[in-house]
Amino acid sequence: MAEKVLLIDDEVEFLEALSERMEIRGMEVTTAESASNAVDALGAGDYDAIVLDLQMPDMNGIEMLKLIRKSHPDLQVILLTGQATLEAGIQAMKLGAMDFMEKPADIDALTDKIKKAQAKKMVIVEKKTEKKVNDILKSKGW
Amino acid sequence: MSRQDETRAGLRFFGRVSASVSHEIKNVFAVINEAAGLIEDFTLMAERGMPLQPERLKSAANSIQGQIRRGDAIIKNMNAFAHSTDEDVREVNLVEGLALAVALSTRFADMRQVKLTMGECEPVSMVASPFDLTRLLHSSIAAALDRLEAGDTLVIGVRPEGGGASFSLSSPGKDGPLRDDEPFADLARAMNASVSVNEKTGTSELLLERAGSSE
Repeated sequence: MAEKVLLIDDEVEFLEALSERMEIRGMEVTTAESASNAVDALGAGDYDAIVLDLQMPDMNGIEMLKLIRKSHPDLQVILLTGQATLEAGIQAMKLGAMDFMEKPADIDALTDKIKKAQAKKMVIVEKKTEKKVNDILKSKGW
Repeated sequence: MSRQDETRAGLRFFGRVSASVSHEIKNVFAVINEAAGLIEDFTLMAERGMPLQPERLKSAANSIQGQIRRGDAIIKNMNAFAHSTDEDVREVNLVEGLALAVALSTRFADMRQVKLTMGECEPVSMVASPFDLTRLLHSSIAAALDRLEAGDTLVIGVRPEGGGASFSLSSPGKDGPLRDDEPFADLARAMNASVSVNEKTGTSELLLERAGSSE
């Protein structure tokens, strides 16, 4: 099954080239070059993973991460940044980011993390579905 | 401010600019990395029998060349900034000094979604500390950016004024964006600089007096 990925970065050429490389690798990619576009994309689609730049002109990546975690708690977020500091990494992981990568990133390592993100999301969704089914079975008299 | 505090403030400024420049360079490398990777992907696909599309190769190569030009301009500005500490004072071309400060501040403006541009500039030079001048202009731009909003434009120019120079900071449709020198008062005092607002034009003026002219 193709991994559905939302790529968020204000560097348009970076977005174009990386999304094309990910599509070559069989992924379904949506891009957003601003935080506001990302919010629209989040509302419109269902993704396995989000690759998010830490520094966006209209919103700090950490703020964006908080927003995503609040509205889509199952979504796996990989932060990709040119300014990888230990503090930012720790803060991102504490907020629930799945991983933190420094630019320029290795495509194989990124692809691997996206596949893991998809697997992780499937486990979460399966667990939730299982819980829902159990709750229904317990609440019904049959 | 003590000499030690002043040295520390100068170092902090140097660090802030260096961090911003290194981040920009990382972005340049990231684009080059993906464009070069795309060319590699195309060649691997061609080896497996898929036809190569010359236009796609050309576009990736153009992207790499464009990013190298961008990176070269960033490094050139960083080099000029690093050399601003070579001499304590020297004759400084203020138009060039302003262009450097604007280039080094552009990323800060971009992050606030404000367009930063050079306005009218008249040739003017004076004896000054190149490093302190860059710091003063950078601080002025930062203070002006604090008063602007996403979508605004900040225009900065320079002209000779009473043996010194006057830097104008304006934003079309808005009042002068620099109200006082409060965010950089110690540096302004040390450089004989002061801030005023031209009510007629709605422009902020950063007046830099010729060294020794206030004594």
